[in-house]
Amino acid sequence: MFWRKTRAAIAGFHPLHQTLIWEHTLSATLPRAEWAALLASLARHRGLVRRPKWRLPARTESLLVPLIRVLCEDVGGGVVGITADLRGHGVPGKESPHRSLPVVRPVRRAEEWWVRDPWLSVRSELRDGSVLTLAVTDVVRRRRVVKVNPRGKHKTKTKTKTKAVQHIRTSRALAKGQVPARPGSPPPWWIRVKVRPGVKTVIRAAAKVPLPAERDQLGAIMTVATEPFRWTKSFR
Amino acid sequence: MKTEEAGRVIPCMVSTGFFVLGRCGRAPVTACAGCGRPICERHVGPGGVCPECATAQGYGSAYDPFWTSGFRRDHYRSTSSTYQDPGWYGTFDDYDRGAFDPEDQGDFGDFGDGDERDFVDS
Repeated sequence: MFWRKTRAAIAGFHPLHQTLIWEHTLSATLPRAEWAALLASLARHRGLVRRPKWRLPARTESLLVPLIRVLCEDVGGGVVGITADLRGHGVPGKESPHRSLPVVRPVRRAEEWWVRDPWLSVRSELRDGSVLTLAVTDVVRRRRVVKVNPRGKHKTKTKTKTKAVQHIRTSRALAKGQVPARPGSPPPWWIRVKVRPGVKTVIRAAAKVPLPAERDQLGAIMTVATEPFRWTKSFR
Repeated sequence: MKTEEAGRVIPCMVSTGFFVLGRCGRAPVTACAGCGRPICERHVGPGGVCPECATAQGYGSAYDPFWTSGFRRDHYRSTSSTYQDPGWYGTFDDYDRGAFDPEDQGDFGDFGDGDERDFVDS
């Protein structure tokens, strides 16, 4: 059997690490120590697995690992729940039905469809008693246009255009009786904030941004996630 | 070691948390070789320094347990600018910021008039 040693190495990884390799998904609610065990397993991946087919899915090392590290810092004795679907946009089930668009010559046919990929969902019980939730959804518009040659020849060319945005939604339900205080400066214009007062005040922040490059996605998500924490003072 | 003050043991002063900041508070085992604050067994890095002093020398992979210290500081600094909220970065104390070279904050040199000759029309 080929790749025998690599298969044996993968069999020794954390079960969630193996799920990431085989299914490109992750769904678990664990305490801090268990997440640390998963990170220790992921850290060994590059050294032991060389086969490209079995590399970690995109956004694992650039986003998921740092996010787990950050969330575990605040969790204390609670748990962190993460559901991540890292299969990408081209997976069946994420596409809406295709619809035709009106066309004029030389375009013969044009169709449009949307891909909605809710690929990250997080719920974390923080050590100050508040609960943080985070949801990230990529929305991609795809268009396929079929044209005839301008000289009337029956040649067709298919062109696909893609436009993508990322919806980032975060909320923080404060602990019972915790009083929020409006921060000194408003958030940037592209972040919307809503506060629902009550026994447990809920602060929501949301943003719609052009789909950032993979390396910039962590920064965008963390920037939006910061807003609910500006509403409470940090005491040390 | 500056871990005792007036007969009272000062606990580990390393900052913990990311958004919900706090102090470690465990019993110290040594003082940081860089900044001198008391640090516990869990927070002693290579060379006997605290996480902030360790990451001030550069931090790379998120697999490193001390990675968060450097990333936290960068994040607070950048979001403080994004939100135009100096108080946000101000929640950090001298220890959090002090390990990093205060002179090395995006200072790319003085671009005076004499530098114009370095540009060439194409």
